[in-house]
Amino acid sequence: MNRVVITGTGAVTGMGNGVDALMEGIENRRCATLRMPGWEKYKGLRSLVGVPVELPSARHIPRKVRRSMGRLSLLAVFAAEEALLSAGIDRTELASDRYGCVVGSTMGGAEALNDTFETMLPDHDLSKLSAMKFFQTIPHTAAMNIAQFLGLQGIVMATAAACASSLQAVGTGFDLIRSGRQSVMLCGGAEELHPTVTGSFDILFASSASFNEDPQRTPRPFDTERDGIVCGEGAGILVLEEYEHAKRRGAPVLAEITGYHTCGSGAHVSQADRSSMVRCMNSALSQAGVHACDIDLVNAHATATRHGDAQEAKAVASVLGPDVPVHSLKGYIGHTLGASGAVELAAVLEMMKRETVYPTLNLEKVDEDCRGVHHVRETINKKLNTILKNCFAFGGINASLVVRKLTTGEK
Amino acid sequence: MDENIIELTNEVFMESFELEEEKLEPEADIFADLGLDSLDVVDLIVALQEKFSVTLRDDERIKEISTLEDLYRFIEHLKTETLT
Repeated sequence: MNRVVITGTGAVTGMGNGVDALMEGIENRRCATLRMPGWEKYKGLRSLVGVPVELPSARHIPRKVRRSMGRLSLLAVFAAEEALLSAGIDRTELASDRYGCVVGSTMGGAEALNDTFETMLPDHDLSKLSAMKFFQTIPHTAAMNIAQFLGLQGIVMATAAACASSLQAVGTGFDLIRSGRQSVMLCGGAEELHPTVTGSFDILFASSASFNEDPQRTPRPFDTERDGIVCGEGAGILVLEEYEHAKRRGAPVLAEITGYHTCGSGAHVSQADRSSMVRCMNSALSQAGVHACDIDLVNAHATATRHGDAQEAKAVASVLGPDVPVHSLKGYIGHTLGASGAVELAAVLEMMKRETVYPTLNLEKVDEDCRGVHHVRETINKKLNTILKNCFAFGGINASLVVRKLTTGEK
Repeated sequence: MDENIIELTNEVFMESFELEEEKLEPEADIFADLGLDSLDVVDLIVALQEKFSVTLRDDERIKEISTLEDLYRFIEHLKTETLT
């Protein structure tokens, strides 16, 4: 089996365009949640908060390539551009069947889908529909558009596992490189902020609705006052590369992926299931060949739902015990859903480099239900050699990934 | 030729396909010179229908259009047909 390393990261979040903007926001303990203007008009929408992205200009993308990109794909493409740049990969190298991408999302192109219905339904008339709405809407819109924009000729896939989509994408890229089928994969996910997206969680009473007048106090992972998800917009793309390939070209290796597992709970579509979370984490740790004592940090899924956070805290406690630092980044950038796994992985890789763990924002009082783990409440300076990243999604889909820092001799 | 038809048609090409006005010569071929493809034609039809309040989508005569001038004449003809 080949070894797989991460050599580049890109992220677009409510903090701004780029991993540096994300880290600056986290470092300054900024919560990017805003009260969303105009959302009051939606009857029954209780959650009026979100974390939007200010989309950069896309004029550098030729029209014929850009025309099939809705908001979702643009977010993904911007993250992919940054990831390639940070990996030091020249665009001219990409036209190869050894280079591919796996990019997922929870909702696909929400804005384009909504526009399609708004155009078609009033008169039940399809003749006003643009040819591009299909390409901007479909579940693999981000993967397809990244591949077209960059000229990728290898494997192009889209994962669709709600909030585990981008971690599944990274895991799939890991499997494809490990098995020798690809050399370089751009992996991650993207998600739009749209009332229909927040509404999907709101009608299940899973979104935050108590902080509409005080948006920067939500979401509140593991906190006693947590009241649900705050949907965030963004994209995260990582460059995964076969180790020897990276070494040959002198690539900047950020970390090695050593373990990955994804599994279904087989229990419930929305209720987090502790036993399957435990199974998922244990399988990833086992593949990585590490034990609880080797894990330096858990980057939790922890979206600030009442049930999910409690189940995850208990699951992490049973796998890793009470001493391993655990934090969630949702308090900074909201829940970027299908992008969250890759966005948050990009951030923790940066923390690995800085040997700094930033705390869970908005965690003021750990809830009784979430105790039993070492919650990161203040910035910690420590060496991070091995990190476990979790994503636990609707549909009973779990994903866990283990990354380790390479020793100086391995780089 | 009705100047208004030329102006409105050219507006569609500038707004929908980001083309500069100086490229919109009557003899310009929509595909070879202006760079549209089959997907763009779908959006061209949608935009022209909206601009001129006409129905084009199922009109077989569209297939015979190759230059901008062909298109101006076709729309002029269509407007006359609609009026009569």
